[in-house]
Amino acid sequence: MHSLSWTSRVISRALRNGFSTLLESATNVATTGPAKSRPHFVSVVCGFPKDFLTSKYKPGKYGEDSWFKTSTSNSDVLGVADGVGGWRSYGIDPGEFSSFLMKTCERLVHCVNFNPQKPVNLLAYSYCELLEQKKPILGSSTACVLVLNRENSTVYTANIGDSGFIVVRKGEIIHKSEEQQHYFNTPFQLSLPPPGHDHNVLSDSPDAADTLTFPVKEGDVILVATDGVFDNVPETLLLDVLKEVEGVTDPVKLQMTANSLALMARSLSFDSEFMSPFAINARRNNINATGGKPDDITVVLATVAM
Amino acid sequence: MSSSTEDETQENVDVHVPIKINTQQSTAMGNASDSDDYNDVAGALVDVEGFCYADYRIEQYAHSVLDFSSQYGIDLSISYTAPNITGRPSKYPDYGDFPQTFAMRTYGIWWDKAPSHLKEIHPQSLPAVHSEDFIVLYFEDYVIPEEIAIFETFNPGAIVRIWAYTITKAWVCLWDDAEFYKRPAYTANKARRFSPPLKKIHLPTKTIRLEFNHQRLHYYTEIDAVLLGGRKFNMSNLQNLLDFQERQRKGSILCKLQNMKFRPVCQDNYQTRLQHFLDHDLNKFMSAVSDVQIKQINNNDSTRVSHVGLKDMPFDIVLKIFSYLDLISLFRVGQVSRFFYDVSNHPLLYSELNLKPYWHLASTELLSTLAKRATVLKKLDMSWCGCTIQTVSPTEFKKFIQQRGDTLTHLRLNSSKFLNSSCIETLGIVCDNLKELSLRNCSLSPPLLNFSCLANLKNLERLDLFQTVIEQDLLLTMLESNPKLKHLNLAFCNVAVNMDDVALHVSEYNKNLVSLDMWKAHFLSAQGVLALSKCHDLEEVDFGWCLREATLGDSLKEFLMKCPKLKKLFLAAVRGLTDRDLEDIANLCPNLEQLDLMGVLGISKERYQDILQKCKKLELMDLSFCDNIMDYEVAMWSHNFKVNIKCCHVPNEIR
Repeated sequence: MHSLSWTSRVISRALRNGFSTLLESATNVATTGPAKSRPHFVSVVCGFPKDFLTSKYKPGKYGEDSWFKTSTSNSDVLGVADGVGGWRSYGIDPGEFSSFLMKTCERLVHCVNFNPQKPVNLLAYSYCELLEQKKPILGSSTACVLVLNRENSTVYTANIGDSGFIVVRKGEIIHKSEEQQHYFNTPFQLSLPPPGHDHNVLSDSPDAADTLTFPVKEGDVILVATDGVFDNVPETLLLDVLKEVEGVTDPVKLQMTANSLALMARSLSFDSEFMSPFAINARRNNINATGGKPDDITVVLATVAM
Repeated sequence: MSSSTEDETQENVDVHVPIKINTQQSTAMGNASDSDDYNDVAGALVDVEGFCYADYRIEQYAHSVLDFSSQYGIDLSISYTAPNITGRPSKYPDYGDFPQTFAMRTYGIWWDKAPSHLKEIHPQSLPAVHSEDFIVLYFEDYVIPEEIAIFETFNPGAIVRIWAYTITKAWVCLWDDAEFYKRPAYTANKARRFSPPLKKIHLPTKTIRLEFNHQRLHYYTEIDAVLLGGRKFNMSNLQNLLDFQERQRKGSILCKLQNMKFRPVCQDNYQTRLQHFLDHDLNKFMSAVSDVQIKQINNNDSTRVSHVGLKDMPFDIVLKIFSYLDLISLFRVGQVSRFFYDVSNHPLLYSELNLKPYWHLASTELLSTLAKRATVLKKLDMSWCGCTIQTVSPTEFKKFIQQRGDTLTHLRLNSSKFLNSSCIETLGIVCDNLKELSLRNCSLSPPLLNFSCLANLKNLERLDLFQTVIEQDLLLTMLESNPKLKHLNLAFCNVAVNMDDVALHVSEYNKNLVSLDMWKAHFLSAQGVLALSKCHDLEEVDFGWCLREATLGDSLKEFLMKCPKLKKLFLAAVRGLTDRDLEDIANLCPNLEQLDLMGVLGISKERYQDILQKCKKLELMDLSFCDNIMDYEVAMWSHNFKVNIKCCHVPNEIR
């Protein structure tokens, strides 16, 4: 029920700002920039679903995780979403929600009223679209969307939950997202519960998303991934791998790095004695856990090129 | 899958075949490969007058939507809404109910059978296959249209007319479906690329209008994309083209005369000479020209051929005959003779005026002519007029209403683009006898129309604000002042209006309400439904996508108990419905004819069967996207109970 109140706020705000998917003048086509070179992403994706050995590959998804990457004439957008697995016991496929969220974000990027400086709107409108589907899509998911605005070489991000991103420059992590959790292993999440369960389900609105804005330079490495990566691979190891691809614009090399990151995460997740970041965190919360956390892994790796 | 799409503007345009042309005007066309093949084709591109149309043929997809009359989704959404028709097809050749396509609000004959059905004004003026909805699409480049392909991905077969807006600011009908009712219904479950044969015109266009008729549809029709293909028009040839058009219009003799600067010279006694000619030589001339024997006109020695014709009938009979004519024929027949002119000018023939089928001809001059004739105007339909071209001026319309509006009882201004705030003001002040006011699709954002003068209307029985933005306070005031209100349509009402408040007002002030449409409006809850149970005359309610709150409690039961006349009950996407609610529907709705339960999950099969058994008058039941039922079961029920059951669902999610 509360989801309805903020979705209507989003709609009325948009209406007041004069948004309409109906284009007014077809002649105001966005002109491409002048001759000066503008930054763009060279991006690759890799990942493993948790049940990799038994499941069939579906484009855009790794198990319950989902991702998208797309560009327009003046922006590049990357996004990941992690479906919350607890819905399986209600007979709901957790991957459906995250998949819909990412696919709709991708469609919205190509709409006229896409604002590259407000990725949080992507999440909000995506969520509103959920309510307009004939077939009810239920469940919940975290989400992380990252937009590169080519005009001013700035990256705008919106993150809700425990997926996230890391930016590496000159061998150092210069920006990274904060994990948002209500309590241990319960991240912030966008959710649409079945009717009747409104009150005993966590549901966060996109207003709760963390937004970060920062400039980027040529050669920066950006990693957007779900918690399958951040919970299993320690930050130092990530940094070691990422600083190798600084300034690399060859997509083949990038793909190889992304593959190795994903594989690393997967192997470590099944290692029962390794002190993974997940285990360290668990211990901090008085839970005796060791080893990695088997989970879906999604790695979206991009470098900034001119 | 996503991929980089670099240059958005070029994305929709496909350059087809570059053709080299052998005229003086052709610039070197780059890589003109093997020119021998192309010479024949190139010759065909040059017309008689010697200027070339184009260098090559292009195909382009719709760039944007300029206007539309109806869509399934709400304004900002990208699911089932009009903007989905732009760009390349995203789903074709897949077939199914996809949210990435354009769908309209209605299908089939069901809305015509509902209690809220509107009778057409002056039905004589309507063509045999009339259009129910339209959409206007804008393309990037001017082309001489050769092909228009419409990608229909669900229930094809609704398109009945295609218009093009040429560069000379006139609408031309490129295709008209004469076989609409004779054709067998399209039953194959396959997506279709529909490309009808177009009328050949020589004028470039980049705006296309599609018109739809849903009557033969089994379920919603959905369109993925529209392609416009033709020879690209070179804008430098524009002046040549316009001159050529002008010459065509004048006719060859007149042009020759102009060229020669012909001026007739009159001799002195031309009058007598003319009379002499008419008396003596005209007959010889006529028989020399035509084969038909001409009767002697001269009174003296002619035998009057005596037969009684139309011109000899008394005035009233001719008036009655003329009352069956459509508007264009009425104007034409008035040009025949003085007598016919007098009959055709009679105000009783203009008590009902429908300009909707003439939307492309509506103009300020027409309006002022009609104002002179229609002195007892009762019903006026100016829907769809003023589309894209501002040929109807709001001031003229205002004048028209000021002169003729006080007798008006029925007024329809759906999708009328010439309206402005002062028009609405005049309406409110002058037309106080209005019983029916239909202002569908009057919600173009800035500037929003100021409807506040509508609060003066006190006799309304029907108010239709489908897809129109109106303020809550004004709406509530109007409800309070119109106790005779029978039909109220607030579909797609914006978020600023709270349907619970509306329901409470209606239950107090509009107890005679017969039909209420709240499709995709907002904030209706159990409280509102309970309030509506005070309107015992309700025969039709549409709560689709509006009643989203989970807990309905006993409100629906209470409502159904108090409104036994209910014939149409639409509860699409009311996700909180339970088995108990359906039991109540089965037990409390003996007169139910149409029921929509689309997207309601968790209902057991027995409840559906209950309804089918107990609601003996049921004709339509929409169970799309419901669970617990199998296709074959639905087919069996449909056959056994003689009910039209819709049961579609998206094919398993692949993309």
